[in-house]
Amino acid sequence: MNDRTTTAESPRAAAIGAFGGQSSRMPLTIVAVAIVFVVGAVAPTRFAGDFVLRLANEGLLLGMLALSVAFLMSQAGLVALGAASVYGGAGLLFAIAMSQWDLTPMSAVCASFLIIVVYATVLGALIVRTNPLAFMMLTLAAGEMISHGVMLEGLRDYTGGADGLVVNFKGSILGMEAADFANPARFWLVAWVAAWLAGLALWTVGRSRLGAILRAVRENEERMRFSGFDTYLPRLIAYVLVNVVAAVSGLLHVLNAGFVSPESLGLSVSTNALVAALMGGIAGSVGPILGGLIFSFAQDEFGARGLTQLLTGIAIVLFIVVFPRGVVGGLWSVVQLQARALSGRRETS
Amino acid sequence: MIALLIANSLALASLLIMLASGLALIYGLRDVINFGHGAIYMLGAYLGYTVALVGGFWLALVVVPILLAFLGIAFEYLALRPLQSRSHIEVALVTLGLGIILGQIIIFFYGGVARSVDAPEVLSGSVTVMNLSYPVYRIFLIVMGLGSCALLALWLRFTSSGLYVRAVSQDPSVARMMGINADRLSLLVTSLSAAFAGIAGVLAGPYLSIDPGMDVTMIVNCLIIVVIGGTGSIGGAIVAALLFGLVQVAGSVFLPNIAALVPYILLMAVLLIAPRGIGRGRVLN
Repeated sequence: MNDRTTTAESPRAAAIGAFGGQSSRMPLTIVAVAIVFVVGAVAPTRFAGDFVLRLANEGLLLGMLALSVAFLMSQAGLVALGAASVYGGAGLLFAIAMSQWDLTPMSAVCASFLIIVVYATVLGALIVRTNPLAFMMLTLAAGEMISHGVMLEGLRDYTGGADGLVVNFKGSILGMEAADFANPARFWLVAWVAAWLAGLALWTVGRSRLGAILRAVRENEERMRFSGFDTYLPRLIAYVLVNVVAAVSGLLHVLNAGFVSPESLGLSVSTNALVAALMGGIAGSVGPILGGLIFSFAQDEFGARGLTQLLTGIAIVLFIVVFPRGVVGGLWSVVQLQARALSGRRETS
Repeated sequence: MIALLIANSLALASLLIMLASGLALIYGLRDVINFGHGAIYMLGAYLGYTVALVGGFWLALVVVPILLAFLGIAFEYLALRPLQSRSHIEVALVTLGLGIILGQIIIFFYGGVARSVDAPEVLSGSVTVMNLSYPVYRIFLIVMGLGSCALLALWLRFTSSGLYVRAVSQDPSVARMMGINADRLSLLVTSLSAAFAGIAGVLAGPYLSIDPGMDVTMIVNCLIIVVIGGTGSIGGAIVAALLFGLVQVAGSVFLPNIAALVPYILLMAVLLIAPRGIGRGRVLN
């Protein structure tokens, strides 16, 4: 890419560059990203109404879930169809910890988080050694197992069965009380920061040695094993890592909603996350989160007519077959094309 | 008691065998797991319901598989062939999306309520064998399941097209080099597998209820079976389906509290002991 063109790009394109592609001017990019971060944190709370903010909050949380799906897809070539069981499971565990175990909110968060991480580690240890196709089937099966398990009659007192659980939230988490989490404008800040942290964390991991090993294993596992690399542990670490992100998203969701329903563990939430990831583009961190936002607003538009599921199916097919790079990937290649055309014109003139 | 248990598990396994062997067949030829198979089965069940209302159960049992075979042909031409160059994971995701679309279309036309089909007169009673009374329909189900299983085995073992299917499943590139047309075989296998799903759907009508969630339930069960059986192994899938049926039925008798979880426990146990499944499926990467 030509140096002159980077200065001409919009901050947003620079931000995309920082996440999705390579950038040649680091300081400028960092400034641009910081501007996007600050503007994004403040502007919506000033200009958007409560309803729009609620949708945006939902979108950011779904975006984080999509990010976890996308990271595993793009780095390890593994598709997880059970993301919702961790997302909803973390929320449900928090609700149980609050209502049944009488924990303080902070220790309830920690307890549910720990349980989910242990679950993800055990499950991951079992399933990451299979091939990608079997992995996809197994995550689907594990997700269904959890969502059926929650509905068991014997656990009804615990999980609330089909009714779900209301969170009895007294006290505070990191200085925020129940009312603060329920306030859309305040929660936007929390969700925005969390989404950025998750995005930056996974982006960093993707560019680290672990990311390189994951991609190499994705391309040819046998070759990596033959070259003396452990191919099991990196994939297990990646699996646990994305589940940590999914669990954080699920915990934030239950804190925001004050309620957890068994539907949040269901297959449709997992496919929603998959669609959000595909829509935004799975490479990089911006795509999935943007995809989550798009999905949230689209669902509001079409969900009332009962079309969400149908459109989810159509979106999966459409984005894989026609736009495999998603919205962000597509925009990025348009920007690159424009930049190349621009620099070409300047050089000839 | 034990005899009843085995008979019930065979009845359930019969349905599962028809679906899981269809999945394994497509997988053998195309390396793709059809996540939309549950929706095809659901379409079979609902079409069976409609045709049975008009012309009776037996007509449904003949017409629906034929209709679904055409759906299989469309699936082959419109999805599998154009996407041949894409990665198997992507194609699997496309089948997942297509399955969701098909499921939603069915729900759109039939609504969200559960339906039921009555078994025909001949099959509606029960017979008494050795002081045990058993529904005739379930015996019919077992005969159909094991019969189709035997036909499948005969076809694979004793016909030239069966030989070709086995060859492509074992080593696609060598089979192609020997002049086997994998595309034509795939057309045959895809339509066959959809037709089997149709038979299973029609047969499920009087046995299980026909409801909008049946596609997900069935595809998850089938995926468990395919993984337990060793991906791509038809023999393994059949054994796994029998095992699955037994565990499911025994679970609902002896452990009614956690019956819904028993198949998953079986899956996890098999994964711990034999990560590649019990059959000799093609080892792939």
